[in-house]
Amino acid sequence: MSARIWRRGRYALAVVAAAAAIAVTVVAFALPGPSPRGAFPVLHAAAAPAGWRHLGLPNGAAVLSYPPSLRPVAGDKDAVSAARLSRAGAFQLYLNATPRQGAERLRNWAAFRLRLLRSDDAVSAREVAAAQGLRFRGGTGSCVIDGYVTRIGAHHYDEIACLVQGRTSASVIVGAAPAAAWTRARPLLLRAVAAYLVG
Amino acid sequence: MTILVARVKEFQRHPRLLALPAAAGLAIALAACGSSGSPSAKPTGAAHSHPHSAPVHAAKPSAQTPNPIPQGNSGDHDADNNGGPSDGDGNI
Repeated sequence: MSARIWRRGRYALAVVAAAAAIAVTVVAFALPGPSPRGAFPVLHAAAAPAGWRHLGLPNGAAVLSYPPSLRPVAGDKDAVSAARLSRAGAFQLYLNATPRQGAERLRNWAAFRLRLLRSDDAVSAREVAAAQGLRFRGGTGSCVIDGYVTRIGAHHYDEIACLVQGRTSASVIVGAAPAAAWTRARPLLLRAVAAYLVG
Repeated sequence: MTILVARVKEFQRHPRLLALPAAAGLAIALAACGSSGSPSAKPTGAAHSHPHSAPVHAAKPSAQTPNPIPQGNSGDHDADNNGGPSDGDGNI
């Protein structure tokens, strides 16, 4: 009787130990670790989901799609922007489309964007990932994901910025969010980039 | 040893008690899986890969572009001249 009890006891302990080991293993794999750097997220050009709104560039070069949680905001007269602002007026999500204006080219886009940030709006900028030859709706683009700190207010933003070449013109789409909210904002911004339509 | 035998007898009387530790472990595992906010999470209809995507190397810092737009609500009065996110202008 005692031996049988002992065997069953060992069996019970083994079951408990196995369950604990499984739990520890799963938790260890599920905990967020350092994200790989340098790998550009996958993009697949696709129309915006139903319910999204659209802003066309004044020159007709492109159409920016944005989710209904954003509102159009003022910017350059030749550009369009949409954003979600906090009650205090801080940017939570930001989308912008602007016709190509300078010396930016598909092959030098990442370097151009970071150089421009450092020389204009930002005290620092760092590249996270970049890619060329990305297919967009109506064209091909080069994109960079980067983070920067603004000269005014020392705000930390992360962004995806793409130069997209259409059949007749090129334009830039930018999606940005505070760095602290980037992980949550990124899928939505990538979706807006994937829906960007150029002519 | 006496305690162990007593607990085993308790398990024999109430076999369901065996399920409690296992269920707890399973619950921890499921909770961990459900709460992992991975940066790679994608929304419905999220972007997918394109075979022609070609990663490029990190850009090196280079000389500043000429004629930067003045900051502090100057220049073109963009949000990015007031601490907001940078727009896509080419700085001309």
